Amino acid sequence: MVSNLKHVQKKPKLSVVVIAFNNELYIEEALDSLYDQTFKDLEVIVVNDFSSDRTGILIDRYVEGKPNFKAVHLEQNSGGCSTPRNTGIAHAQGEYIMFLDGDDWYTIDACEKLVAAIERTNSDFVAGQAIRTNTYDIWYEKQIYSIERVNINIREFNFLLFDSLSVNKIYKRSFLDKHNLRFPEGIHYEDVVFTGKAYFLAESVSIIPEPVYYWRVVENADVKSISNRRFEFDNFRNRIVAHRQYDKFLKESGFILYQGHKNNRFLRHDLKLYTNDYLEFDEDYKVKFHALIQEYMHEVMDEYAFIRLPERDRIMYYLLYIGDKAAFQDYLSYLNGLPGSMNRIYAEGESYYFRATKPGLNDKKFLGINEIEINYRISDIALDRDQFSFNVDAHAESVDPSEVSFSWVLKNRQTGDTIQRPAVGTRVVFPLNNMAPGNYYLFLYVSHQGNLHKRLIKKSVIEELPNLKAKNESLSKEIFINHKNSFAIKVLPLRKVDQLKFAIQRRRKKYKSNEKLTGLKEVLSNYAKGLFGKLPLQSNWVLFESHMGKQYSDSPKYIYEELYKNRSKFKYIWVFENPDAVQFPGPAIKVKRKTLRHYYYLVRSKFWVDNQGMARLAPKKKQQVYVQTWHGTPLKRMGYDQKKTPSEAALEHLKTHTSAWDYFISPNPYSTAIFRRAFRYGGEILETGYPRNDVLIKKPEIISQKVKEYYRISPEKKVILFAPTFRDWDPNSFQKTLADIKTLSKSINQDSVVLLRLHYLLSDKIHDRDLPANIKNASTYQDIQELYLASDVLVTDYSSVMFDYALLERPIILYCYDLEEYLSRRGTYFDFIEKSPGPVCETIDEVISYLGNPESLTSYNQALKQFAQEFGKLEDGQAARKVIERVFD
Amino acid sequence: MPKRNIVFVINEYNGHGGAQRVASILAEDFVQDGHNVAVLSINEQKDESSYFSRRIPVTVLHQDGYRAPIAKELSSNLKALKFKTVTKELKRRRQLSKKRKEIQKFFDAYGQEEVFVIVIQVWGMQWIQHLLYQPNIKIIGQSHESVAAAKSSHRYKRILRYYRQVSKFLLLTEKDAEYFQGLGFSNAGVMYNPSPFREEIEPDVLYKNKTIVSTGRLIDDKGFDVLIEAFAKASPDMPGWKLHIYGEGPAKSYLQSLIHILGMEDHITLKGQTADTQSALTASSFFLLASKAEGLPMSLIEAQACGLPCISTDCAPGIREIVGEYNNGLLAPVGDVPLLSRHIKRLATDYGLFFSFSKNAYEHSKIFDKQVIKNQWYDLFAELGGQQDGK
Repeated sequence: MVSNLKHVQKKPKLSVVVIAFNNELYIEEALDSLYDQTFKDLEVIVVNDFSSDRTGILIDRYVEGKPNFKAVHLEQNSGGCSTPRNTGIAHAQGEYIMFLDGDDWYTIDACEKLVAAIERTNSDFVAGQAIRTNTYDIWYEKQIYSIERVNINIREFNFLLFDSLSVNKIYKRSFLDKHNLRFPEGIHYEDVVFTGKAYFLAESVSIIPEPVYYWRVVENADVKSISNRRFEFDNFRNRIVAHRQYDKFLKESGFILYQGHKNNRFLRHDLKLYTNDYLEFDEDYKVKFHALIQEYMHEVMDEYAFIRLPERDRIMYYLLYIGDKAAFQDYLSYLNGLPGSMNRIYAEGESYYFRATKPGLNDKKFLGINEIEINYRISDIALDRDQFSFNVDAHAESVDPSEVSFSWVLKNRQTGDTIQRPAVGTRVVFPLNNMAPGNYYLFLYVSHQGNLHKRLIKKSVIEELPNLKAKNESLSKEIFINHKNSFAIKVLPLRKVDQLKFAIQRRRKKYKSNEKLTGLKEVLSNYAKGLFGKLPLQSNWVLFESHMGKQYSDSPKYIYEELYKNRSKFKYIWVFENPDAVQFPGPAIKVKRKTLRHYYYLVRSKFWVDNQGMARLAPKKKQQVYVQTWHGTPLKRMGYDQKKTPSEAALEHLKTHTSAWDYFISPNPYSTAIFRRAFRYGGEILETGYPRNDVLIKKPEIISQKVKEYYRISPEKKVILFAPTFRDWDPNSFQKTLADIKTLSKSINQDSVVLLRLHYLLSDKIHDRDLPANIKNASTYQDIQELYLASDVLVTDYSSVMFDYALLERPIILYCYDLEEYLSRRGTYFDFIEKSPGPVCETIDEVISYLGNPESLTSYNQALKQFAQEFGKLEDGQAARKVIERVFD
Repeated sequence: MPKRNIVFVINEYNGHGGAQRVASILAEDFVQDGHNVAVLSINEQKDESSYFSRRIPVTVLHQDGYRAPIAKELSSNLKALKFKTVTKELKRRRQLSKKRKEIQKFFDAYGQEEVFVIVIQVWGMQWIQHLLYQPNIKIIGQSHESVAAAKSSHRYKRILRYYRQVSKFLLLTEKDAEYFQGLGFSNAGVMYNPSPFREEIEPDVLYKNKTIVSTGRLIDDKGFDVLIEAFAKASPDMPGWKLHIYGEGPAKSYLQSLIHILGMEDHITLKGQTADTQSALTASSFFLLASKAEGLPMSLIEAQACGLPCISTDCAPGIREIVGEYNNGLLAPVGDVPLLSRHIKRLATDYGLFFSFSKNAYEHSKIFDKQVIKNQWYDLFAELGGQQDGK
């Protein structure tokens, strides 16, 4: 007692409050760490929260004979940390105060360092590093504890909101008393409230980047037993209770400005713990969870709190916020590769979204998805000298299965060669003839609504990988997994010569890839171009191009064919993007666009015939003759006539083009006037009709037969040509078209077939196997003129195809579901409704009813004839001949 | 049980590391059971004795002392006119392809018989990689260190490159295996090191020895300085207790002078290398390990097999798979002298604690029992064997 009295007289500098509840294993270690402290001017108050094990006895034994150690035993268990800590504070006499839990320990100089720091900085409290013993990582090290921070405030350094640890800190007793700051009793997560308040109330806080506290994390596999489940909801409710207290404090103490930052912490730290475990909870828990979280969110935040969170959190929290339990559960199922209650993934153009149960105006802002989940497994791999095969199980979760198609691709990284196989049935078989040396990596391609999703196959999705190897005379092929776990067929040459070749080829490829025509090559190329420019023109060379080298079609084709059949003195050059893909009659040579060879012919040919624009590819010489055939009667406004005046640069481009033209072909007087005005073109206009339409006047039977044979359409079938235009303002238009095609396919009668003609930008989005049998994809067919001849009726919208097609005097149905929008965005040259050559429909159902009822179209015969007369009266089947006579003779 | 062909591939068969130790224990046991065992050693140390007995044939790949350097790129060095590097690399390539052929011959001798190849260190994979595609050969790759330790060397890259396609990739601990499974190694599994002996001694007998023991090479990484300091700090409170350190190494003189500085000559003895670890352990009370990095340390396994409680630094995931905290031993963060010292004192002065730890230690050590581990190997052979189509 005497020693105790002495102690009272001289107050210690530091009080450490240790709390213990059933810590018999660790309490001595905790107390030892205090007894051993290098800082000696301290008292220790050990509060035993009515432990049921030997903890109390051990504490009493420990403090015996140690005058600065004091034991306090609570009369009953408090069920938390707050009451024991507050009791400790009540007993504490020190100027500073620290807290230690009975299963943790301090580093030997923790007190010394923290006391020194708080005296040096005069902060309200100072924090040091806490180390968790399962990983030996420091709590929020990178974000907070990596460097010394002196006299900071949570209002300037918001990340401190994530720190809710009270034990790694030293506090001024006067600071706690001034604000009457104590641990909130009767709740769990007292640290969230206490530490949160402390940070906001403190004028000044400091951080020392030194380890002070060891936080014992006991990893135990059997912690979560089923009997505990019932209490888990209490756990969540307790957290919300703590957060509500925290929120109330912010509101009442004038810190409401920082609620947003606090919400951020709640979402990214607290709530995440529960959404991570959600699937393990029972139904009762889930019902309560959804009710409480929705209620709580609406108290303190709105949906924009999630907008910048990572995708998964954003979507989950939004669904929690709007109370869409079904969609939330489906989203988790989706992420985990499990089936949900309905298909919720949908695309609009290239963007993907998750569908809420009830659609809301802002859904797309919050439910956007970057990459869709695709689940796939591979098994039973077989490899021999001729083929490689495996079983597959692939599906895109929560996507309408009828909208997706799968294919498998082997791609040679060295050469870029690909082999593609559709996924039909469960076994995929790749033939392995025609392989080149290199690693062929395996990909899954998933095509959905015009979007292609590629997945590189990793070993992880393969059940039982066999190490197989097969050889023929020249190549060995083996299963290979690279260091990044990607699966490939490794093809190696066996002959020494081939090995050497392969090694050289690989080196070259390596250099090619990071060298884009620089240095010597560029100099050479420019030199050659200069040289070609100086060579004389060849007066009998004619260079043709159609749609920037994409097709063998349109008026250039028909001028060419008329020319080579009737004149012999010319040499013909056709320019294509991909020359190998095009077959055509006659003596012309093919060159690849934008190559040195192309340039050579461009600058040396006397004649250029083109339907779009090639004046910017090379400077045109005065003696060169450029025939611009153009590609259609204008309907939508162009050039200077556009609703929105084009930019300076665009007009400058236009000028380069128009000033290069020597002849411009016009189909009718109406167009002539427009071309002059819209292009500000002053050169010669050949008002001859379109050479491409000659064939529509002559109607050779053989062409229709050719098309039908090509698409395997039997002759007696009725052919519907469906040619919608490209709406560049609406990324969704492709999917709208796809949906319309599906409807069409189901609704037309058995004797009909649809030929689908899409803009070239869209044509590579569609895969033939995605289409029903009665829809033929004719998007890549070279010449649309031939499709006209093969079809019985045309369905189109704002396309100039109607002008040509009208010449056939076959029915035209105009399907303009977005007429108003089109008119307001684009504008047309005449009242399109009034003059229309056929019915104008706003829905696909209207179109279908006309198709199913051909008599209903006869009432438009008159309009059609009038339309053909007005725009096609010059067409007499002799346009190409007329052009040739004027230009080439 | 069918007779198996088993080949160990090892960097140096006559090195004295844990890996050679484990391989030799297994090899002797396999031979005992009548299996056909051989060792394929890439290199050898000059005039060193080996853990392997004479009945195990050893083939050394590079008998001329050539050691393969790290692979270099040819073209860039050629451009930089580093002809010495280029020559060296060309020699490496020549040697590699020559030795691969020798290896092929070595394995051709087995004909179509099934062979299990246990690759002790990943280095050897470059010579035997082509055997992956030989259906009668099953390659089992091992890594005898923790992920953290491997990561700080180029062994990690080699693991990523060579162990993807082996029949089984064995790690020493669950945590290490989980790590590699997370990287897509579906072939990753765990195989503990076996304890070469196991002997139950009553706790009171051990306790009466009043001796703390530690073994290992005397090098910085093993943290003997920390251990000596921790003991010295606790020593005044535990009269009569001694510390014995077994092993040799470059740090010996430094440690000796540290003992002198701390005035601990009467309490701490550097005992040198011992050929009889088992006797050294049974003459002690408990074991101390203060390493900075480990895999699944053999020394702890052996100590536990004699019923010795262990105090260890928590320096690798493997430690907690041997030492159960407050069940059969105590743990401290790496380099934490004060805590180690308190642990030493607690265990030395609390017989009740010592008694229960010792009992639990022996009980726990059965998971490393030689017989148990050997059977796990046999199970693994059975699991991998007999699939002649290369699966």
